[in-house]
Amino acid sequence: MGQHSSNVTLSNQSPEPVLVREEQIASPDSNSLESHDPMADFYQLQRSLLLTTLALTGIFTFPVWYFFSPNTAFNYLVGAITGLVYLKMLAKDVERLGQQRLGAKGLGIFVILILVASKWQQLHILPVFLGFLTYKPAIVIYTVKSIFWSAEKSENDA
Amino acid sequence: MDIQAASVIAAALAIGLAAIGPGIGQGNASGQAVAGIARQPEAEGKIRGTLLLTLAFMESLTIYGLVVALVLLFANPFV
Repeated sequence: MGQHSSNVTLSNQSPEPVLVREEQIASPDSNSLESHDPMADFYQLQRSLLLTTLALTGIFTFPVWYFFSPNTAFNYLVGAITGLVYLKMLAKDVERLGQQRLGAKGLGIFVILILVASKWQQLHILPVFLGFLTYKPAIVIYTVKSIFWSAEKSENDA
Repeated sequence: MDIQAASVIAAALAIGLAAIGPGIGQGNASGQAVAGIARQPEAEGKIRGTLLLTLAFMESLTIYGLVVALVLLFANPFV
């Protein structure tokens, strides 16, 4: 008993005495838990969404410049950058969910943008609004990509 | 009723009605996400990622109402 007392414990809670090793009580999967960050998927998604939105902004700006006017392209760019900031703030809100409630700071930025666009002659509402919505195709692209990627992965596993 | 008064009422209705549905949806989604994270902390990243995507889509419905309201108030084409 004296030899085993260092790493064997008797449980008093159960009706039958159960031998439980101390290394089992101290977390058995501590190494595997440390190696996998549970938030890694979220950060990867956030980075992917921001980069895709940035790429789409660059891709759409040149056709708008070519087919409409430089001023319209500038409007689109302003809206797209505001959409990027809005997406970043939404991701920050989701990251802090649990410690604080969801805010509406992103909507405030959008309201300011539309107010400026309606008052300032250089900005027009429609291209600014369409630029702001550039993050939506980025979300659709990410979702479609993840669906195909998971289908391909399950085919490879089978 | 003149056009300006009708526009103000329409703007109030646009933003008010457009905020009800997404507000309920966002509250439900966030509550379920927090419950899911509490139940499965190892899936926190996936849950928060899915929540981000759904919130982005839900909030855009409010944004549509907001745009209509702001256009009616500050850039009304009928005035």
